[in-house]
Amino acid sequence: MTSPITQTRTPKSRTYLYALLITLFIFATAFYVSTYFNSQRIQDIRSTQDNISTDILSLETQFDLLQQRSCDSVTENTILPSELISLGNQLSYMEAQNSSTNKDEIIRLKRLYSLLQIKDYLLMKQLALKCNLKPVFIQYFYTNIGNCIDCEKQGYVLTKLAQTYPQLRIYTYDYNLDVSALKTLISINDVDNKLPALVIDDKVYYGFQSEADLINEIPQLATLEKATSTAATSTKK
Amino acid sequence: MIWLIYALFFVTLYFEVFMLLAFVTTKTDHDEPGGLENITFPRVTIIVPCFNEEATLSATMHSLLALNYPHEMLDIIIVNDGSKDGTLTVAKTFESDPRVRVFDKPNGGKHTAMNFALQHTNSEFIGCLDADSIVDPEALRAIIPVFADDRVAAVTPGILIKKPQTLIQHMQDAEYRLSVFNRFTLAALGSAFITPGPFSIYRTSIVRDMKGWRHGHSTEDLEMALCIQDAGYIIANAPTAVVYTGSPRTVHALFKQRVRWTYGFLRNSIDYHYMFGNKKYGNLSIIILPMALLSIFAAIIFFTRLIYLLIGQILHAFARWQIVGIQLHAPTFDLFYFNTSMLIVLVLIAIALVIGLIAVGTELVTGKRRVPFGTAFFVLLYSFIVPLWLATAVVRAAFKTGVRWR
Repeated sequence: MTSPITQTRTPKSRTYLYALLITLFIFATAFYVSTYFNSQRIQDIRSTQDNISTDILSLETQFDLLQQRSCDSVTENTILPSELISLGNQLSYMEAQNSSTNKDEIIRLKRLYSLLQIKDYLLMKQLALKCNLKPVFIQYFYTNIGNCIDCEKQGYVLTKLAQTYPQLRIYTYDYNLDVSALKTLISINDVDNKLPALVIDDKVYYGFQSEADLINEIPQLATLEKATSTAATSTKK
Repeated sequence: MIWLIYALFFVTLYFEVFMLLAFVTTKTDHDEPGGLENITFPRVTIIVPCFNEEATLSATMHSLLALNYPHEMLDIIIVNDGSKDGTLTVAKTFESDPRVRVFDKPNGGKHTAMNFALQHTNSEFIGCLDADSIVDPEALRAIIPVFADDRVAAVTPGILIKKPQTLIQHMQDAEYRLSVFNRFTLAALGSAFITPGPFSIYRTSIVRDMKGWRHGHSTEDLEMALCIQDAGYIIANAPTAVVYTGSPRTVHALFKQRVRWTYGFLRNSIDYHYMFGNKKYGNLSIIILPMALLSIFAAIIFFTRLIYLLIGQILHAFARWQIVGIQLHAPTFDLFYFNTSMLIVLVLIAIALVIGLIAVGTELVTGKRRVPFGTAFFVLLYSFIVPLWLATAVVRAAFKTGVRWR
């Protein structure tokens, strides 16, 4: 039998103090663990970006070589759109976490992501010209500023299209991101700040475009293979 | 909002740690058995207040009669509080035992039944056993030695759920083991503020000094404990005095019971408001009562936040469904997407701590640390239903609606 009554109700300041120190330690540990995993994620994203950079460099080199050779070894899938989509998903997730500690790092990664997308887009256009390929491009501009509900809805539609047509090349850009190449792209395409905006075959579409609208606007979609099984991906708003 | 969540989380976690530390200190400093060798067993009266208890009274009585306690020192008083079923008939079948007396009175509530019995006894100690509970044969022998200290006015037992069957009862099984830990530690801090109905034993003279039990907003056990604390006595705990109590089988019945408990705590807190923050009452007023009150509102705020997030998710899913229809995805287990926010890590730590405390509570009563089957459900599901009765009780207490036993 255990009798606890020998302790009285008189408070022991030592217990209060130790409890405070232990609680602070637990909070510090939770902060450290959370920060550690977020850093790991950033590392993952960096590593994916490095891979894509290497892929692009490789393709550029391959393209230079192709000036003298045939296009036999080149297809629309030379750079996997899925890799870019996956990177976009990871960045979207990190952004949604709303972690103030990683905010600057995420913006930096987003800028690099935008650049990689632009490079992929330009290279694929060149390849298409040289090798008579017919890739289908959608350039999508969104904003995180304010409450852009249509951007969110547009994201759902594009995600579904990307899942249905794995060869469809969708590039998503944060309209307000401070990247000079992105600003040039916006300027070249004459995209106004009326978001969401889509650029398809050099034509700009403003406002929400439903799946049916897009299928109508892009007849080439019918030429793309449909996915046999859908993977769980999402396109950022 | 997120900073409020973190602040409340810090305070509740601090309290959990504080309790654990107090427990460890107590176990380290005072883990020694009280002796039965030289004790003379005093006369004890156990009241069994009954209102429509024909189905369970018999088991309760058999367990009382099986108590390992000198027969001539045990007095059992059944008070039929105006039952409308066959409770009185069942009670009278036990009258042949010289330890048992049966009284019948018009219905007036549990506290009136207890006071009625108080008038018909001259025992040194008096206790109560709800007619849906059964006691371990050694329970009384575990309690009586604790009264060797004259400052002790009441001793609470270790309460477990009697034969849990439904999922709700299994969850309560885990909850009660956590309560064993809490009750033990609160007693160690001199801060117990409930003397539960099932087999709390009191020094009769002190109960008389307190003028008996009061209605106490349908929680006479809580009111009596606060009254004892107010008078400066000690409420001790003997966790090895095991009592198995009946428990609500359904969510509805549990909801009703807990609204009554929380309502009683809130209304009694108003009645005894002068104890909050008053240094005279030590730990009870500095941390225990304020935290008990704060935890009610913290649980409601956590729950509101959770519901807000869930509704947001549902609205997103609905909007998505409207636009692109149902999309079936193969589930993915990419570690990248596992939520490791600071709040989630803290929640996981708190859950681990709660499971640890359930194990400690289990060990205090059974001597083994193995947590019961209902622990997982308790941890995962209970926090979704608790805020519902807390919020209901807060509203009812604010409007003084009163609560009923059944």
